[in-house]
Amino acid sequence: MSDKPARAVKLNVLNEPKDSYTGGPSSLCPGCGHDQISSVIINAAWENGIQPHRIAKMSGIGCSSKTPAYYLGQSHGFNTVHGRMPSVTTGAYAINKDLLYLGVSGDGDSASIGIGQLIHAIRRNMDMVYIVENNGVYGLTKGQYSATADVGSKKKKGTVNETQPIDLCALAINLGCTFVARSFSGSKKQLGSLIKAAMSHKGFALIDVISPCVTFNNNDESMRSYGYVKENEITLHMADYIPHFNPVEEVDVPEGHFRDITLHDGSTIRLETISEQHDPSSPMAALSALHDAEVNAKHVTGLLYFDATKPSLAEDLGLVDEPLLDVPDETLRPSQASLDALNAEFLA
Amino acid sequence: MLKGCVLTPRNQEERVSDSIPRRGTTTMDKIINDFTINIATANGTGSQSANLILLQSLFDMGVPVSGKNLFPSNISGLPTWYIVRLSDLGYQAPGDRTHIQILVNPATWDEDLAAAEPGTVIIWNSDTKKKTVEREDIISYPVPMSSLARKINPKIAKLVTNIVYVGVLAELLDIDQACLESAVARQFKGKESAIELNITALGLGRDYCKENLTKTDPYTTESREVDRPQFFIEGNEAAALGAHYGGVQLLAWYPITPSSSMAENIIAYIPRLRSNDEGEATCAVIQAEDELAAAGMVLGAGWAGGRGMTATSGPGISLMQEFIGLAYFAEVPSVFWDVTRVGPSTGLPTRTQQSDIAMLYEGSHGDTQHIVLIPGTVEECFEYGWRAFDYSERFQTPVFGMSDLDLGMNRWACEGFTYPDIPMDRGKVVREREAFEAFETFGRYLDVDGDGIPYRTLPGSGMAPILYRGTGHNPMGVYSEKPEDYFNLMARLKMKIDGARDELPAPLLREEEECEVGIVFLGSMENSIQEIDDILEQTGMKVSQCRIRALPLHSEVENFIRRHETVIVLEINRDGQLYGILRRELPNDLVTKVHSVAYSDGMPPRARIYAELIQEKLKEVSQ
Repeated sequence: MSDKPARAVKLNVLNEPKDSYTGGPSSLCPGCGHDQISSVIINAAWENGIQPHRIAKMSGIGCSSKTPAYYLGQSHGFNTVHGRMPSVTTGAYAINKDLLYLGVSGDGDSASIGIGQLIHAIRRNMDMVYIVENNGVYGLTKGQYSATADVGSKKKKGTVNETQPIDLCALAINLGCTFVARSFSGSKKQLGSLIKAAMSHKGFALIDVISPCVTFNNNDESMRSYGYVKENEITLHMADYIPHFNPVEEVDVPEGHFRDITLHDGSTIRLETISEQHDPSSPMAALSALHDAEVNAKHVTGLLYFDATKPSLAEDLGLVDEPLLDVPDETLRPSQASLDALNAEFLA
Repeated sequence: MLKGCVLTPRNQEERVSDSIPRRGTTTMDKIINDFTINIATANGTGSQSANLILLQSLFDMGVPVSGKNLFPSNISGLPTWYIVRLSDLGYQAPGDRTHIQILVNPATWDEDLAAAEPGTVIIWNSDTKKKTVEREDIISYPVPMSSLARKINPKIAKLVTNIVYVGVLAELLDIDQACLESAVARQFKGKESAIELNITALGLGRDYCKENLTKTDPYTTESREVDRPQFFIEGNEAAALGAHYGGVQLLAWYPITPSSSMAENIIAYIPRLRSNDEGEATCAVIQAEDELAAAGMVLGAGWAGGRGMTATSGPGISLMQEFIGLAYFAEVPSVFWDVTRVGPSTGLPTRTQQSDIAMLYEGSHGDTQHIVLIPGTVEECFEYGWRAFDYSERFQTPVFGMSDLDLGMNRWACEGFTYPDIPMDRGKVVREREAFEAFETFGRYLDVDGDGIPYRTLPGSGMAPILYRGTGHNPMGVYSEKPEDYFNLMARLKMKIDGARDELPAPLLREEEECEVGIVFLGSMENSIQEIDDILEQTGMKVSQCRIRALPLHSEVENFIRRHETVIVLEINRDGQLYGILRRELPNDLVTKVHSVAYSDGMPPRARIYAELIQEKLKEVSQ
């Protein structure tokens, strides 16, 4: 093997091959949109020329939160507890502000159990990329609705979701989040650009990525899903059988246009890329675009809102220039003289 | 061995030599430095400043004195009692009875008056509408406190009323004027107008007393020579200073009584102790959105290689349980201070109890076991403040400081804090590439040294990156559900924490040669134990003391129990939580001689109550 001539491998600005940015094999359902997002993350980090070990991969609990094992194998990561990734990231950031914090979360993690932590991380304008892999469903517990499920969504067992969804992008814009974008797991090009931009952003960057669940998010068209499987002559008697799907085809919708995308179960979603006339510095324009999309049963994608002027958490903390991690112990511990002085003052 | 704590140092030698305590010093009919004053006011009226001035001036006279603030969970208008106990024997528990009662709060007037035992001195505000004192069996000193206060400034008469009663007490009890004035100056730190106003009000109280009252009670004070100078400080401030001398890098907290002043003191000392000339700090502070987030931030700091801590109380620890389990299982250094209050649930938020022992020791679901440091003095609050970080990084596990409201929020005498005698212990962190490459195989959870403590590398280092997780993992840190991986991991964690036992602060022993009755106790019971011991020894028994200062239990605890005929485990709770731990961990042959005395009513432990409970228990077990 070793005497085979090395094949020319494409390198990034750091002379690193893309292999330096990959992770372990995925254990998600074959065809899962989350895996597509993982590959976009790998690509974005490689193309941005970020040293992989200077990235910290953060996640909570859920299908999405398992994915840090599948990308950036040279980065440390923390798969924390359900909905609490933002706080762990905040604490790590206070100690080492020089790392690039890349958080991956899901809709259960971010819109339900962890919505408070998401809100407060946005409020502090924590320097991090926060990707929500949004499928409207709890996958690991086998298909309960999440708080982002659309009204009228129908589960395999037939119950219809009557509860209004939370739009994380609208929420984030209202909270003054400094980078708010929406994309689709199949839109590699758009998502790649957004993640690369978010990695360069100073402040909190939220990217809500629609990432359909191939297994449980069978909505009103769910019978077609059965039909799809039947057509492929797969027996469906076993309850724990998970059909294999191919990932959703790559989608590239030009600015200002929309396209209907057919999902695994045969249902469609309409994706519209926000027009180039959209002014991302205007929260009103962004909210209006989200509202229009909702009224017209579309999902508007692209960079919705951006503000580079707000100070990030690092500036608010009032710390020394170097990361606290690099402050030597002798500096961290105040001197003997300082304690002697305190004791003397107390006794005076 | 850690520095032994000093129980009211001024009187320790005297007490050790006396098996029967002297009830103060009596000259003719005088009772000097041995009585209790109870001041009944409403909160938010400024009474706390007045009471602290009284306490401080007695302290500055060298009188052994302690103050207990019994305050409501409220901002303004509800009843507050402040109990000042003077005791030449150094007893710091609230006394058995009130000798001098101050009545200024109409809301509790009747109740407080009815509770006064015959002979009690009642100093009362005679300007109080519809209230009077008509009892023949007490000593009554009416003082028109409101009218006197109005003379100074009618707008703030209510505030000034409080300092007027301090003036009356000063005259009646012969409190040194210079000490009073320096206490006023200390309380109002350079605010000249406030100092002047308060000294004038003190004078009015004194003068009224001189001109209008005839002293018929026996109580008085006398200055005492103090061998070693001391100052007053709250446990929370001491622990906050300790945290700074432990190099705390992140304080993440959510306000909760009675721990808030620990966090606030950490913040207050940052400019002085932790900032460079440009005012840039080496300690970050984040007020979190809740206790869950505070705990998460502490874990994040530990994971990144820093020293993070939070300060909270029982309800906060309840909310942090999930993260505590993660810290234990993923082996993330993290420091949690629990200044305990009365539970369960919201309980009595402003009263004291030792009822979080079991929750801290075995926090979170699944099999866990945690290191808990339990200070009993303000000196130990400081010391464990910095040591907690060393233990946490050394054993790569959450470490708790367990204080309580009594120790944390009341002022205690202190001779001064001792500078850490060892450099910071950062544990097994591989920081250099060379050291890393010396490992044949590097696994995050590989027990290389046989002590159960693995090595770790830090995020950003590029060395042995892993995904930390709360799921099952093998020695390499990779997800695993294999039976042997799970079993071995849990066994190693058990061994790791077991190995900490004798590295933690040893129990503080005060033993009698006879080894009859041993009392095992912990934390702020320190302030009542000597009085309990003296009451018991008056009955002829010999009592030894063993104050536990850390969990898991040090081997000396077992040895102490083995040496004694009968052992009482004394604690301020209902269920005997420490007793439960001892019962489970002691060898079977020792279990039968260990007995629980657990009692709690929210009050700081009054010695006589606990002494009587111990006597009952001893009678019961001897039958």
